[in-house]
Amino acid sequence: MVKFTADELRRIMDYKHNIRNMSVIAHVDHGKSTLTDSLVAAAGIIAQEVAGDVRMTDTRADEAERGITIKSTGISLYYEMTDESLKRFKGERNGNEYLINLIDSPGHVDFSSEVTAALRITDGALVVVDCVEGVCVQTETVLRQALGERIRPVLTVNKMDRCFLELQVDGEEAYQTFSRVIENANVIMATYEDPLLGDVQVYPEKGTVAFSAGLHGWAFTLTNFAKMYASKFGVDESKMMERLWGENFFDPATKKWTTKNTGSASCKRGFVQFCYEPIKQIINTCMNDQKDKLWPMLTKLGVTMKSEEKDLMGKPLMKRVMQTWLPASTALLEMMIFHLPSPSTAQRYRVENLYEGPLDDQYANAIRNCDPEGPLMLYVSKMIPASDKGRFFAFGRVFAGKVSTGLKVRIMGPNYIPGEKKDLYTKSVQRTVIWMGKRQETVEDVPCGNTVALVGLDQFITKNATLTNEKEVDAHPIRAMKFSVSPVVRVAVQCKVASDLPKLVEGLKRLAKSDPMVVCTIEESGEHIVAGAGELHLEICLKDLQDDFMGGAEIIKSDPVVSFRETVLDRSVRTVMSKSPNKHNRLYMEARPLEEGLAEAIDEGTIGPRDDPKNRSKILSEQYGWDKDLAKKIWCFGPETTGPNMVVDMCKGVQYLNEIKDSVVAGFQWASKEGALSEENMRGICFEVCDVVLHTDAIHRGGGQIIPTARRVFYASQLTAKPRLLEPVYMVEIQAPEQALGGIYSVLNQKRGHVFEEMQRPGTPLYNIKAYLPVIESFGFSSQLRAATSGQAFPQCVFDHWDTMTSDPLEAGSQAAQLVTDIRKRKGLKEQMTPLSEFEDKL
Amino acid sequence: MFLALHIFFKLYSQYNKPHKIKNFKSFGSLFPASLGSIGPSIRLLLQSRGQKLELNPSFRNFFLKPYTNKNSAARNLNSDTRVRVTVKTHLCRKNPNLIGKRSRSSFTLAMDFESNYDIATTADFIRTHKFTRVALQFPDDLLKDSTRVVSVLRKRLRSLRESDTTGSGDEPDIGLFVMADTAYGSCCVDEVGASHINADCVIHYGHTCFSPTTTLPAFFVFGKASIGLADCVESMSQYALTSSKPIMVLYGLEYAHSIQQVRKALLESSTFCTSDPKSEVHFADVPSPYMFPSKDTKKLNDLQEETCGCGDNSSSDGASGAAYSIGGLTWKLLEGQSMEDYSLFWIGHDNSAFANVVLRFNACEIVRYDATKSQMVADLSQQRRILKRRYYLVERAKDANIVGILVGTLGVAGYLHIINQMMGLITAAGKKAYTLVMGKPNPAKLANFPECDVFLYVSCAQTALLDSKDYLAPVITPFEATIAFNRGSQWTGAYVMGFGDLINLPQVQVGNQEEARFSFLKGGYVEDFENQENNVEEEREDLALANATEKALQLRDNCNSIIKGGAKSGAEFFANRTYQGLNIPDDNTTPQSFVIGRKGRAAGYEDENNKH
Repeated sequence: MVKFTADELRRIMDYKHNIRNMSVIAHVDHGKSTLTDSLVAAAGIIAQEVAGDVRMTDTRADEAERGITIKSTGISLYYEMTDESLKRFKGERNGNEYLINLIDSPGHVDFSSEVTAALRITDGALVVVDCVEGVCVQTETVLRQALGERIRPVLTVNKMDRCFLELQVDGEEAYQTFSRVIENANVIMATYEDPLLGDVQVYPEKGTVAFSAGLHGWAFTLTNFAKMYASKFGVDESKMMERLWGENFFDPATKKWTTKNTGSASCKRGFVQFCYEPIKQIINTCMNDQKDKLWPMLTKLGVTMKSEEKDLMGKPLMKRVMQTWLPASTALLEMMIFHLPSPSTAQRYRVENLYEGPLDDQYANAIRNCDPEGPLMLYVSKMIPASDKGRFFAFGRVFAGKVSTGLKVRIMGPNYIPGEKKDLYTKSVQRTVIWMGKRQETVEDVPCGNTVALVGLDQFITKNATLTNEKEVDAHPIRAMKFSVSPVVRVAVQCKVASDLPKLVEGLKRLAKSDPMVVCTIEESGEHIVAGAGELHLEICLKDLQDDFMGGAEIIKSDPVVSFRETVLDRSVRTVMSKSPNKHNRLYMEARPLEEGLAEAIDEGTIGPRDDPKNRSKILSEQYGWDKDLAKKIWCFGPETTGPNMVVDMCKGVQYLNEIKDSVVAGFQWASKEGALSEENMRGICFEVCDVVLHTDAIHRGGGQIIPTARRVFYASQLTAKPRLLEPVYMVEIQAPEQALGGIYSVLNQKRGHVFEEMQRPGTPLYNIKAYLPVIESFGFSSQLRAATSGQAFPQCVFDHWDTMTSDPLEAGSQAAQLVTDIRKRKGLKEQMTPLSEFEDKL
Repeated sequence: MFLALHIFFKLYSQYNKPHKIKNFKSFGSLFPASLGSIGPSIRLLLQSRGQKLELNPSFRNFFLKPYTNKNSAARNLNSDTRVRVTVKTHLCRKNPNLIGKRSRSSFTLAMDFESNYDIATTADFIRTHKFTRVALQFPDDLLKDSTRVVSVLRKRLRSLRESDTTGSGDEPDIGLFVMADTAYGSCCVDEVGASHINADCVIHYGHTCFSPTTTLPAFFVFGKASIGLADCVESMSQYALTSSKPIMVLYGLEYAHSIQQVRKALLESSTFCTSDPKSEVHFADVPSPYMFPSKDTKKLNDLQEETCGCGDNSSSDGASGAAYSIGGLTWKLLEGQSMEDYSLFWIGHDNSAFANVVLRFNACEIVRYDATKSQMVADLSQQRRILKRRYYLVERAKDANIVGILVGTLGVAGYLHIINQMMGLITAAGKKAYTLVMGKPNPAKLANFPECDVFLYVSCAQTALLDSKDYLAPVITPFEATIAFNRGSQWTGAYVMGFGDLINLPQVQVGNQEEARFSFLKGGYVEDFENQENNVEEEREDLALANATEKALQLRDNCNSIIKGGAKSGAEFFANRTYQGLNIPDDNTTPQSFVIGRKGRAAGYEDENNKH
């Protein structure tokens, strides 16, 4: 059954020009996994008959059950091209055999971290778009991610079968829909254009767009048809391709090509005339069981059916016929081989994105040239649970050199700083494995340009890492991945039986490993927290935790908890002062909100503690209207030294000020981590040190005196500057037919959401709605929405921004005050906020 | 003590001019009679100290330690070393009033006083062991009674001596010394303070943690709090009926005196059915009030068992079950039973002793009977939270690089052993330890050591739990440190506070050294210095110099150095601070030739010519 062996695969791995690493990306439910099946079928791993039904890459039980992909799954395919089809291929190649390392990724936004991890280790992306639904929010997100990673995309317009069977649209209308889909995708790609990557837009006439029906396992590119007709019309293949798309019309009556519709009834667009209509005809004949008409047509097309297949009726017959005529694998694989880069091509321009170190050192060069003889550079992008409970495969891509069984590697974790020993381990690879769907095959070694799974390193890698040879001490790590979602939804977990705690601890450790996005931490109150990107994500994580990582030991989870931020609205009403415990030092301070957009700029890293002070002051003065000198007097950022709050020194001529700076900074890190309202992080607050009075004797102004005092004065200035809570807000995108709009609006209203964009998808009855929805209200939102719209609306939520809550938390009985009380109760703090008088002192 | 001192200050200023006091002993006798009972106390104090006041460390402490009375003009400059002192208002009351009240009170009250302070037993104890110098240690809240206790005790001892015919009669007078305001927790026996006056025995008054002593024998006077017997028995039998498990009754030591009565009353109570094994009620043994030091720390546990043996142990029926002891209470369980099979019934206040019990037996169901309010308290969620919080602190401690060991006791037996054990543990974990001696830590004191990521507080079981969010770095107990710094040990919920138990704690065999440590604070693997260093350093000793040079030449990110967790030693921490001190190292470090300075006296140096 299996058409290829691990040995064959291993052999092609050395031909770096004959490798394609690609991921399949798309919006949820646009048919990635189904389409992947057809490709896998072509490689002979599953039977052609069931292709489209098995969803080979959905390896988990819950994936199959829910019908969505949760984890990205890698699969290596072997494909042999015919000489004839490779005739036009201009790039470098080594024989006709190709190795395709394909990664199927989830489409749901909650799992988009998986997509990020998949993109990192691939060079090309097959973007799947539903021909009816068109380009959706997640399509855009993944496209943006892909281009950010310098991944070259090709497009396939999927679910063609819907056009023929469900909607029964005519040729011209279908063409308009398809071209709009392609147009939309191109618009996005053009926005993120990158000079090094060149033109990344896709054109059907260039063969970078395919039309597919994943469910039925067929697909075509214009190349297929061009080949077919080229000989008939006696024109060049490429010329024919151009005619098959765009404003090219053919009138069979006159046998003339025109660039305008002549208006005669028989004049049709090339695409319609030569691609759409024939397919439609075949499908209709099959569906109507007009076998007497069918067989001659098939013979004309050069399609031969097996005798037992001739007995099929209706849909199965149609499926079989189409698969034989236009096999999805041929079209898609050809498209990938022709238009997606090989590792050696891709790494030439990707090296800049990948490597953190100097771009002219030997490691950068090895990556650039995809040099199998160079030093090992391997990026582990995710950990895959192994069948052996509790262990993981480290899944990644070899960018340079070779990784082999028994090789001693240097593991550089995400916190590794070159030259230091932090987050650095040396360990031997126990086994190198390549992934073939549900099976794994052990191989001796894997050269650069390939994906690989490593055994025996899981105890040192949390989520991702860079591996290199043991002796290569001066290698820099490969840049960490940037995720488009953030873990904003949190639940506290505890075990039902207290003595299961060690199991829980072990389980959380494994959970943290198994998913690139999930974060397992511990709260001040001693509760274990699991944070994920969304409700669905968390649900899956907790299920994994309980069933797989804790061996079924029961856990209790709290209701989802959302973390808030504390900010201020205004400048402090007065300069507040706090005295040190010995009453000999006084700190005067004011708080004010940071300028609009500054907090976001700090989040993004445009402004940060590591900047050159001169540059920083330039940005601050030009974009945010700061005083130039003042901008040089920023003492620190916080919390965690990088957060979106800062302390600025405004005092003049204060003695010993330098001495207490460290203590004030320490106090600030502490205070900005636990704000005065509910001990949530602060955000967007600028603290100005107005004046400082210090005791002349150094012993009386030591850390012991200043650190607690600084903390108190920060709190006091926060409380006097109209403190407010910030809540996280999702951007929700909902796609639904017109009649469901009423339900959507009413659910959104109930949930404090507001719609800011409503757009009808041209040519469809579908509406695209974009709305802001507070994260705290989002729990149960999808199910309510489904109920209110009888399942027609499907929301996608992505964290968007922090929104100020208008009510005053200091005013008893207000909504914010209630919220503060709840948070404090949950954290085991005193329910009453500490009053200002505790923080502020009188002179 | 405060009162005494306060008056002492006044008196001193008053008497200083007319009488030039040369001898403090004679000064003691100068107290006017109007001062009543304070006179003897001060005299005693001064007597004990011989000629020089400075001899007494606790007295000296008073001068050095700031006195935070609001009325006091003395400003506290050195507040870093300040000890939080709470002067109770009743202490500041004029003493004559107090005495007036007392004098009005009836004879029975005086009897109560004597029995409350166990005067007779104390005197017997002193007599039988022939102690001659006895230190009486009072906590702050009992200080008001100290003088009276001394005088009554003295009277008692005198009468005992007179009645004792066997003695030669010319025994020296027994010296009684009042000690107050201990440097460390007042629940522990202040052995250092006592040894300053060469005391050979300490009588400890008030709440105690019953920590074993190192050198001096001690006698504990628990005090006697009143208890509504009927109500207590009622609640107990009520609880016994509802509980599915047998009940173990534990109590605050101040209720030890009435436990026998409670027990009797419970047996007599008709509602209580002894035949039902489910509602069995056991009582912890009343501890014996004396304690003799044990030389061998390893024998600590045996010692405690001994002490329990001499108490009236009617409940122990010789079964060889597990023996438990906590805060002076001891009991034995039947073979094959563990504490999880019991429900705990605590009689007493919600104090540190109780918190200790809750932590130690966190798996048991615990109810508290508040004897002063005569009510049951079953909601202990706050106490349960403590355990979870401690768990968090352990996780925090795992990430620490620098550990400050706070020595919070100099008396509890085995403290040195524990400190050494902790030092070994910390070093083995590849962390740096600094030892600081500090009585009664507070946030301001600890913030003077911002380089420490975590503090390890070695003290008696009942003062060890310091958890206030005001601390910059968490403060953990030795037991928690054992969990945190021993790789492979797990938090199972079992909790140990006493040094004895800690020393005997089985050493966890480090199982899986292979895996890197997972930090729940950072949510990922974190490096462990020791593993790395051992491997790498040994392999490439020849490269060590090259590595060092390489590092030295590296550009370091120097901003925000004070942020916790970066530095691996105090020196590194200081080197990274933005402020380096006033002595900015001069670039010009070439040695300079020496020059000969001036010679002679200031009145006229030799090189000065003018001779007047």
